[in-house]
Amino acid sequence: MVNVIEVHDLHRIYESGAGLTHALRGVSLTVERGEFIAIMGPSGSGKSTLMNILGCLDTPTSGSYRLEGLDISRLGDDDLAEIRATRLGFVFQSFNLLPRATVMRNVMLPLLYSDCPVREREPRAVKALSSVSLPVEYFDHRSNELSGGQMQRVAIARALVNDPAVVLADEPTGNLDSATGQMVLETFERLRDEGKTIVLITHDPTVASWADRTMHIRDGHILTDEQEREAVAASETHGRGTT
Amino acid sequence: MRARDLLYETWQALTANRGRSMLTILGIVIGIAAVISMTALIGGIQNTIVSSLGLNQSREIYISVSAGRSVTEGDLERIRLSVPGYELVTGTVSGTSTITQGKKSANASITGVDQGYFTTSSIKLAHGRFFSDAEMKAGGMVAIIDQNAVKDLFGDADVQVVGKTVKLGNDEYSIVGVSESSGFSMGSYETVYLPRKTATSRIIGSDASISQIIGYAKPNVDAEALAASTKTFLVSYFNVPADKADDEVTVMSMQSMVDQFNTVMSAFSLIMGAVAGISLLVGGIGIMNMMLTNVTERIREIGLRKALGARSADITRQFLLESIALCVCGGLLGILVGYLGAWGLALIVRAMRPSLASMSPAISPAAVLTAVGISVAIGVVFGYSPARRAARLDPVESLHYQ
Ligand SMILES: Nc1ncnc2c1ncn2[C@@H]1O[C@H](COP(=O)(O)OP(=O)(O)O)[C@@H](O)[C@H]1O
Ligand SMILES: [Mg+2]
Repeated sequence: MVNVIEVHDLHRIYESGAGLTHALRGVSLTVERGEFIAIMGPSGSGKSTLMNILGCLDTPTSGSYRLEGLDISRLGDDDLAEIRATRLGFVFQSFNLLPRATVMRNVMLPLLYSDCPVREREPRAVKALSSVSLPVEYFDHRSNELSGGQMQRVAIARALVNDPAVVLADEPTGNLDSATGQMVLETFERLRDEGKTIVLITHDPTVASWADRTMHIRDGHILTDEQEREAVAASETHGRGTT
Repeated sequence: MRARDLLYETWQALTANRGRSMLTILGIVIGIAAVISMTALIGGIQNTIVSSLGLNQSREIYISVSAGRSVTEGDLERIRLSVPGYELVTGTVSGTSTITQGKKSANASITGVDQGYFTTSSIKLAHGRFFSDAEMKAGGMVAIIDQNAVKDLFGDADVQVVGKTVKLGNDEYSIVGVSESSGFSMGSYETVYLPRKTATSRIIGSDASISQIIGYAKPNVDAEALAASTKTFLVSYFNVPADKADDEVTVMSMQSMVDQFNTVMSAFSLIMGAVAGISLLVGGIGIMNMMLTNVTERIREIGLRKALGARSADITRQFLLESIALCVCGGLLGILVGYLGAWGLALIVRAMRPSLASMSPAISPAAVLTAVGISVAIGVVFGYSPARRAARLDPVESLHYQ
């Protein structure tokens, strides 16, 4: 098996007016090609920080990160931008579509930055939209005319259009009700069946249960299996205690 | 990012904010319109005057002497004999009087002319005839007035006035001709021509000095050189000290007068340029302000584009091009408004000055190119810092900006 993501002993320390925040304290993980994994943890545990580093939007204070074997920590801003354009797809909690632009233009947006020949753009966008099962009649709608679930599927199509090595999704169902959220998760599951590698971040155990494998993060650490069992047991007793 | 994509993104951004874009470019529109309308108007006036002068007028040489004694017909004869190269030398006397027609009266500037005058000067007749030799010799009670005077005294420039009479002082004169108004006469005095003998005996006084001498060079004689040799002759003929030569003896060819007029006009253009410059500066600051607002409003979009793979240079280019495109739109609109404005002003000038009735604004390709160039420069200068600010935004922070 080929490891798409190999992270070793990652640290991220934020410097701000309030002082230093040690958001990641030695995170190591590997993700194989075709895997659908969930990273789970409570608010403030460092999920988004990890996600930003995996997405090459941020660089670690120390530690190593290899994406498809390429050492990311040595790259400059323009090279990181090229990695984002060609090897990564993002899905955000708040969709981040261009509101006045059509569905097609939104999906084709990443192609502006990846040197895709003009005549290939529309076929690729159509292919990406059909893999998230958005009906053709919506393709020329403005994105702000769609429902939340449709918007998130357009955003997933946008993440897929450059055929990335990994799709990164940060709380993709956080702004959706549970029925539409389930539809979005079904989309991820189908993409996994087609061989896509997906890293999903959530604080919700039901969402995490759609993944092949779940990793728990607390205070900047990935929990070991044993710590994990203790944590799950503790939350169950805690849950029973309060009801 | 491809140039084509960049242009398309710019188009999308500008049309999305159409109302605000229009307001922002107002300063640029006004500045460019001022430059274009003034240069077009000045160019039009220059063209009309230069073309009305024609070829013959380039043979004219204007001479005036203030050497402390009267200039007489005898002195003109000495010029004719001593300075080779003249076909004609004519002298005029001038004075002022009051011209009356019916109940209307006005100040009149009287020019007493001799036989050669209408041949040499740029004056053209619209109606009637010049003075006859007999009228010149006898000092007849005849006058030629110009179209402006016809308009002021008879109410309309098109009234047929040949054969009618006007009064100068207490004497009655019959009008034999109407001259086209000269582009140069811009005073409030009405232009009246009389035979020189009539003017000196009736109005100015018989001891009057010849105030203006007009020489008419023979064909193929270099007017500039002739003017120079005339000056040398007059300075020694009137015993003018060398240090006063320029004050007391003026000899100018028509060409040098046109050159002088052009110099005055360019000074005027320069002043208008300064005014336009200020409104362009204000317009530029407006553009910068709008672009800064624009960047702030689109922080999330900028974060998104970076997450999708835009490099800093792509973002800089996108916002810089937006600013340039705004300014160029303003510039093009300004050219249009300026051209229309120049036509409006031209129509007013035409109505006021019959001599400029055929004047139309001259818009030069150089002026258009300059206007577009200035607009691009303003776009770059005032758009650069907002564009750099956009490019330097941190992708993570901008994605979560509320
Ligand atoms: N830009 C930042 N500057 C300073 N501290 C930050 C910044 N981003 C996150 N943090 C801190 O790092 C920790 C982890 O945050 P985050 O990765 O957003 O957690 P999660 O996504 O799991 O809620 C938190 O304590 C948060 O306050
Ligand atoms: Mg988070």
